[in-house]
Amino acid sequence: MISILNTLKGKIVSVLKVTDEVMRSKAVETIEYEVEELDNIFAILVLGTFIGIPSPPIHITMELLPEMEKEFEIMLEKVSTAHDPLGDLFSVLDID
Amino acid sequence: MKPELQFFIGKGGVGKSTMSAITAVHLSRNSRDTLLVSLDPAHNQRDIFQQDFSEKPKKVDNHLAVKEVDTEYWIEKYLKETEKTIKQTYSYESAFNLQNYFNVLQFSPGLEEYALLLAFENIIRTFDDKDIIIFDMAPTALTLRFFSLPFITLIWLEELLKLREKIYAKKEIISEIKIGRKEIQQDKVKAKLQILIQEYGHLPDRFKSDATQINLVMNNDKLSFSEAFRIKKKLNDIGIQIDSVLINKSQSKEVPDEVRNEFSHHKITLFPFSPKSILGYKALNEYIDENNGIFIGNSKRITE
Repeated sequence: MISILNTLKGKIVSVLKVTDEVMRSKAVETIEYEVEELDNIFAILVLGTFIGIPSPPIHITMELLPEMEKEFEIMLEKVSTAHDPLGDLFSVLDID
Repeated sequence: MKPELQFFIGKGGVGKSTMSAITAVHLSRNSRDTLLVSLDPAHNQRDIFQQDFSEKPKKVDNHLAVKEVDTEYWIEKYLKETEKTIKQTYSYESAFNLQNYFNVLQFSPGLEEYALLLAFENIIRTFDDKDIIIFDMAPTALTLRFFSLPFITLIWLEELLKLREKIYAKKEIISEIKIGRKEIQQDKVKAKLQILIQEYGHLPDRFKSDATQINLVMNNDKLSFSEAFRIKKKLNDIGIQIDSVLINKSQSKEVPDEVRNEFSHHKITLFPFSPKSILGYKALNEYIDENNGIFIGNSKRITE
């Protein structure tokens, strides 16, 4: 009897855990999307010179370049794979 | 603050280089330890002194040395250093593809004035034993970009820092919701931005300091006046004041009214036109001897 209750308790705890994680993820989905876009904007501002966009004084780009490898790669990827920005946005906002 | 700095700016052809050379020789005659630096890519000082100059200062007399800044050298040096740093921090694949992007960088607008700024900082750091350093500046456009660069840079840096902080505030929120606490990775970019803001903060102060004198050179003609007034306005917009006005190749003893009105609070000096060309160390000394009224009674800093 007690062992059945314990197993049940275990299952409920893990379901609650998963639910908790899913709820937390859903809660931050929009903010995460926003942060990703802001990161991209930051990368374009600083490294825009490499994709044909007027950039800040070139030395700012060069000083920050060593620390921005990841952002640099992502930015170049986005440019070459021509993302569908509206599609991205709609999926985040759950619009069908 | 040592050393004192003097800039000679103005429209191309008004005689900035000659004025700088004459002032440098005059100061040297008064035993002020002087370094004359050519920041003008046209490098007229070698024609004026009739000898070659380079990045290494060359002694012209007891208290005067002359140096020419080579912007291409500074651009190349800077690009190489950045490339080296990047290769060290980037993973192997990325570093390989970076070469193409670096070849693009060397043609970026803004590199030339940045090179001048690098050279300038290096000079005031290295030659701090001199009494006075005179800068023979490039023609107007490049000179204005040179003076504006620190201000523009600071504006960009501050805005980028604000954006970066906003991003990381949101990342903190995400982290707090997802894992129940704030987990902040060290933001190297933010640290870099803050260091740059500190470094660039010094330059505007140096330009505006009392130990820095900006001399605007012009000739007695309409085009020269217009450009001079524009230069004054553009510098005022970034908070830099002109300290003195020099009217070169002057055929009269009177300061034109237009100039008097526009520069009512400035010291104005007339440099008489010289019928013989002022080429060579001897000729420079002769001009000073023949026109010794110019320096006496004027800026105490120049004569002492």
